Amino acid sequence: MSITEGILCSKSHEYVQEKDGKYIVGLTDYAIEQLGDIVFLELPEVGAEFAKGEVFATIESVKAASEIYMPISGKIVEINETVVDNPEILNESPFEKGWLVKIESETASVDSVDLLEYDDYKEELA
Amino acid sequence: MTKKTFLHDEQVKLGAKMIEFAGWIMPVSYTSIIDEHKTVRENIGIFDVSHMGEVYVSGKDSLAFLNKLVPQDVAKLTLSKAIYCQLLNKAGGIIDDLIIYKLEDEKYLIIVNASRIDEDLNWMVRNSLGFDIDIENQSHNYSLLAVQGPKASDLMEKLGIKKENQPEFFSIKRAELFNINVFISRTGYTGEDGFEILVRNEFSELLWNYIIKAGQEFGIKPIGLGARDTLRLEAALHLYGNDLDEQTTPIEAGLTWSISKTKTADYNGKEIIQQQLEKGVNKKLVGLKMLDKAIARHEYEVYYNNEKVGIITSGGVSPILGENIALAYVNNIKDICTGCIVQVKIREKFYNAEIVKKPFVQKKNKV
Repeated sequence: MSITEGILCSKSHEYVQEKDGKYIVGLTDYAIEQLGDIVFLELPEVGAEFAKGEVFATIESVKAASEIYMPISGKIVEINETVVDNPEILNESPFEKGWLVKIESETASVDSVDLLEYDDYKEELA
Repeated sequence: MTKKTFLHDEQVKLGAKMIEFAGWIMPVSYTSIIDEHKTVRENIGIFDVSHMGEVYVSGKDSLAFLNKLVPQDVAKLTLSKAIYCQLLNKAGGIIDDLIIYKLEDEKYLIIVNASRIDEDLNWMVRNSLGFDIDIENQSHNYSLLAVQGPKASDLMEKLGIKKENQPEFFSIKRAELFNINVFISRTGYTGEDGFEILVRNEFSELLWNYIIKAGQEFGIKPIGLGARDTLRLEAALHLYGNDLDEQTTPIEAGLTWSISKTKTADYNGKEIIQQQLEKGVNKKLVGLKMLDKAIARHEYEVYYNNEKVGIITSGGVSPILGENIALAYVNNIKDICTGCIVQVKIREKFYNAEIVKKPFVQKKNKV
């Protein structure tokens, strides 16, 4: 199975992937590649709730700070502490080790309608 | 319309990520900004800075004309030497910062910022009445390559210019590299030893490729604008548009060292500059080191005792120190000085930063 199997991507380059009833949210390899060296991440607190499209985190590359948007609505249940301490992990492994948060979402199926499967997302970028 | 340098295609071939900068399509990075940055500090890097402008001023009144434009004393400039200057408006505000090279007795080369070429030329022409001079914008005919890093001098020797014949710091020489006529100056924007090579556009691609090939044994890599910015920030070198603008004087910008205190000739803004030299200024440019984990960026506010006292002009990471650093204008009061702790407002939260001495990383360019 490819690591991008089951991954859905937003136009603003966040991805979401269902795992064990929760949803893993991160930034796509394309987004990371565009940003360059990642040097800082600010993630929300566990328990915080965000609507689809809302800013939930900030990422900074050497060049600039960018906001990260929720691809689907949900409540933060876990954050990736390892990437907060070592943001360069995102450059090495945006999908496996470089995930940002895990969320619970009641509206995932509805919220996902405008998200693209990874292969289609890549095609759209080309 | 965005412009491309004559090295555009070569850079794309090398995998450069291109961005728009000052009306040009320029490489922001090739591999990683941090890696490129360290390459320049440890070995050697080559930059395409062909977007920079080249203006020639010649004629029998060249010296008098230039002396009217800048607070530095161009009369002190000897043949083949260079001087860092600021083009001032009547209020002492900085229209651009530039380097003037004396090529001949009545001929000077001025290297200006890409984003300011039009403003600079307009201002020069407006000030030229009564002077017997020619102002010639040659920006469209020349490419500029910067070769920077501790091994730059070794590479130049390999290219046939012995160390004893290489130009000294802030000097320029005519030379031949691979049978191509160039001007080589010992200048740069990284805080490292290095050279800037001025070459006619039609030979820039050839020269670029020759230098990269010859530089392999020294670990040469192409470097983008991203690392150019982090390198100059570590060296606390000003960036026009960020740290300098028309509302800021050289005194406020911490450039008093570059100003002549003995110049007798009149120049634009002299009254204000002299007044500020005597009575002091209201704002000053300081270096900041972030104590809390956060990155200060351009235009973030600076606070002291819950009061807004300044603004970040440039900020980012220092790949060499592994810390986050910034330049900021703050109110020029005694309490806000080296060692003092201020707060930077980042996304509505306050983060501590310490005022530190500049540059952040020791410069190694004076050879």
